[in-house]
Amino acid sequence: MADKKANKRIKSLSIYRPFIYGTTARPFDPDRNPKPPGIPDDHTHSWEVFVKGVDDTDITYWLRRVQFKLHESIPNHVRVIDAVPGKPFSLKETGWGEFEITIRLYYVTESNEKPQTLYHHLRLHPYGRTEEEKEEMKNEDGGVVKSWNYDEQIFNEPYESFYEILTTGAMPPSMAGTQKGGKGGGKQKGGEKEQKVERSEGGVLARSAMIPLTNRGPEYPFSRETEQCEIEKLKKALVKVEEMTKKTKEEMEKKEKRLKELKAEGAKA
Amino acid sequence: MTSRDVHDVLNLPSDHSGAPRPSKKQKTSAPRPNLKGLAREVQNLGGDNPIAIVPEVNFFKKRRFASRKPVAKWELKAFTNSARGDDGALVLRHWKRKTDDGAPVEGAQDGEGQQQRGEGTPASERKEEKPDDSAFAKFNVQVVVPHYTEEQYHSNLQNNDWTKEETDYLLGLAKDFDLRWTLIWDRYDFTPRPPGGDGANGDTSTAVVPAPKQRSMEDLKARYYEVAAKMMAVQKPAQYMTRPEFELYEMMQNFDPEQERKRKQFALNTMSRSKDEAREEESLLLEVKRILARTERFNEERRELYNRLDYPATDSDINSFKSSAGLQNLLQTLMTTDKNKKRKSIMPSEGVSPNSAVPNSAVSETNPANRRESIAASATTNNHARHDSDVRTPATPADPTPTSAASGANKKKGGSAQQPPERRKLTQQEEQVYGVSYHDRLGSGPTFRYEKINKLYSHKSGQQQLRITNALSELDLPPRLVMPTATVTAQFEVLWGAVTALVDLRKISDRLDGEIKIEEVKKAERDRAKRILPEKEKEEKGEGEKAKADGGGGCGVDGEKAGDKKDGGGDGEKTQEGGGQAKEDGEKKRPGSSGSLTAAGHKRSASVLSAASDKSAKRHKKQ
Repeated sequence: MADKKANKRIKSLSIYRPFIYGTTARPFDPDRNPKPPGIPDDHTHSWEVFVKGVDDTDITYWLRRVQFKLHESIPNHVRVIDAVPGKPFSLKETGWGEFEITIRLYYVTESNEKPQTLYHHLRLHPYGRTEEEKEEMKNEDGGVVKSWNYDEQIFNEPYESFYEILTTGAMPPSMAGTQKGGKGGGKQKGGEKEQKVERSEGGVLARSAMIPLTNRGPEYPFSRETEQCEIEKLKKALVKVEEMTKKTKEEMEKKEKRLKELKAEGAKA
Repeated sequence: MTSRDVHDVLNLPSDHSGAPRPSKKQKTSAPRPNLKGLAREVQNLGGDNPIAIVPEVNFFKKRRFASRKPVAKWELKAFTNSARGDDGALVLRHWKRKTDDGAPVEGAQDGEGQQQRGEGTPASERKEEKPDDSAFAKFNVQVVVPHYTEEQYHSNLQNNDWTKEETDYLLGLAKDFDLRWTLIWDRYDFTPRPPGGDGANGDTSTAVVPAPKQRSMEDLKARYYEVAAKMMAVQKPAQYMTRPEFELYEMMQNFDPEQERKRKQFALNTMSRSKDEAREEESLLLEVKRILARTERFNEERRELYNRLDYPATDSDINSFKSSAGLQNLLQTLMTTDKNKKRKSIMPSEGVSPNSAVPNSAVSETNPANRRESIAASATTNNHARHDSDVRTPATPADPTPTSAASGANKKKGGSAQQPPERRKLTQQEEQVYGVSYHDRLGSGPTFRYEKINKLYSHKSGQQQLRITNALSELDLPPRLVMPTATVTAQFEVLWGAVTALVDLRKISDRLDGEIKIEEVKKAERDRAKRILPEKEKEEKGEGEKAKADGGGGCGVDGEKAGDKKDGGGDGEKTQEGGGQAKEDGEKKRPGSSGSLTAAGHKRSASVLSAASDKSAKRHKKQ
């Protein structure tokens, strides 16, 4: 009781963590992906659904459990994966059909937050908006079909204890003394600290909300670089839309004029 | 045993002869062995002060150089200074010690060789031509001044007060003078180029020359730090900086010219005040200190007084204390109150006793007999008091246990109440690393970034959703954002606004198209009517007017016309138009089928749209 009271929500504060969820499917193939014994004949693919951190960083400090709800026809279709520190939440299955997976995220108990739900469509076959995209996917790495989504888990107004968890661990706690200290001393200390800090290959601090600066191959498609690309794309699209709006407006003016003329004519007649 | 010892034992004051004797002995004994060859009698002549005699030393100083090495050789060697930046054009010479090992030996041998061989070969001359670099050249450290391209300047460094030219000029000076701000400020003389005529001399005389701005050192610094910090951030986002880098970045970013100016002003004032003023200031400061100390002491005393006044309430029933058990109870109570008092004096409370003592006494009055109940009651009142004003519980005379429990709870509460301010303040870098941000309105609880975009969709009607998705795919955007980060979603929202505006425009434009089509068809009808049936027109004119007089309620003579009208009414948007159309038709005596046709067309298009919207709604649900 007393604990809960002390554990207040921090107003107007929001904190986020990037993560990736999605599926990876590969067709059975006698050479590259042989069918293990005991799998029904009609199963054509093996696939995996996962929830993990960006750059394979640990997310178990805020995510306690993930429930994957698969298609009802699959035996034991509600699967619960509990956190193993440092490991992604993943589930491997085989099958023949695509369906929507319901992913339910259970947060660590300290968060006092209710579970949230994500939906993800399992992709077994190459997809895309155009035929070329599909073709490209088909040729990729033995027919592996990836459907990965980047998202950010936002905790709005977290409880204090949870906030404490979310804001520690990546860096040594800031000390007022070192910051004000002499430049030389500060530098040296900073250097020492930097070494203690745990970073992933992409330069992401453990337990932080960072994403890598650059892409490192197809296994790590989400980075600042990709983000910049996307922003560029959106900006270009915006310019295009503005052009289109202008054009439409001009056309409309013409049309209105024409309509007026026609109406005037009609009135005259 | 001397008389002195006797005196000592009897604790009598010692007489004259006793005291000085031992001290004299001690004094004389010390210097004696030092002076040899001097008669004791002569030495004693000095009495208490020994004679100052410096013993004569009759041997020479030791040789300083025990080992007799050959004399060190020095040579006159040429050197250049690369820091001069004249590519070694100036060659100076200085004496340098010749050593027997390492690189200099070569030079020494060369020198010797040259001497031996007279003018020597050109090869050796070549070697001589490359003199050593001065040992002090390494101290010529160049300051790293931020660089930017034209594009970077335009996207990041625009400033109303500073032109690019002036910024360039400032950075140039900063480089030239190695960031010595006093120098930079002193030499700063930027004359902006006249806007029109650049090169022509004649123009400058007539053109209005903008007056150069007077820049203070703080202005210069502020601009420089602004540029440097921004360029730093452009090259490396803040959360990826190492700690020293970030500290530098933060320092430059937080540079406040106003504060700097004030600081200097203060310093100037302090320097220029007179001695009297300084003394007065000092005394004033002392005075303040004294006043503060006094108030503190006064407060302390007052607090203590209040604590003393906080006695256990005595107006309760005393029956409970009449038995021996009761007395025991009382003793315990008093002890706990004592303890409480101690705690209270350690942790003084803001709103003191009268507040809390009242409910307690009231409770004990109402329930004098039932002890258990009073326990519970006092516990609850304590809780209340706790809620009302953060008061440490006063002692309850009824029973010690609840108070201690309550005070325990209080302590806990006190601890937790202190927690919020203890929440760590994150630095800016930490905030970025941990993804912390502040917003005005937040729905608490976890959510996903992409949820925002989903909401954008779900706020639109199905039909609009379809139109927007179509427009987006027209723009070659994937249906789902690849990386819905905060910036990307913000950018997407901007785009979303533009797209919805476009879609709305298109809708209006489509409607205009429809109207134009109607008008065109009508015009065609009119033309045909004019050409083919000029006579019939006249005949039917009367009839049409009659129909109009009927009230246009649809029971017109013309069956077709009535149908027309109905159609018009059926189509929500086009009601007026349909009506107008019918009227026009009536006027023109030409019950054309065109009206019904177009109306039907509208109807059909509407149904198609609704079907489409259903589809899109389904689709969205699936997503």
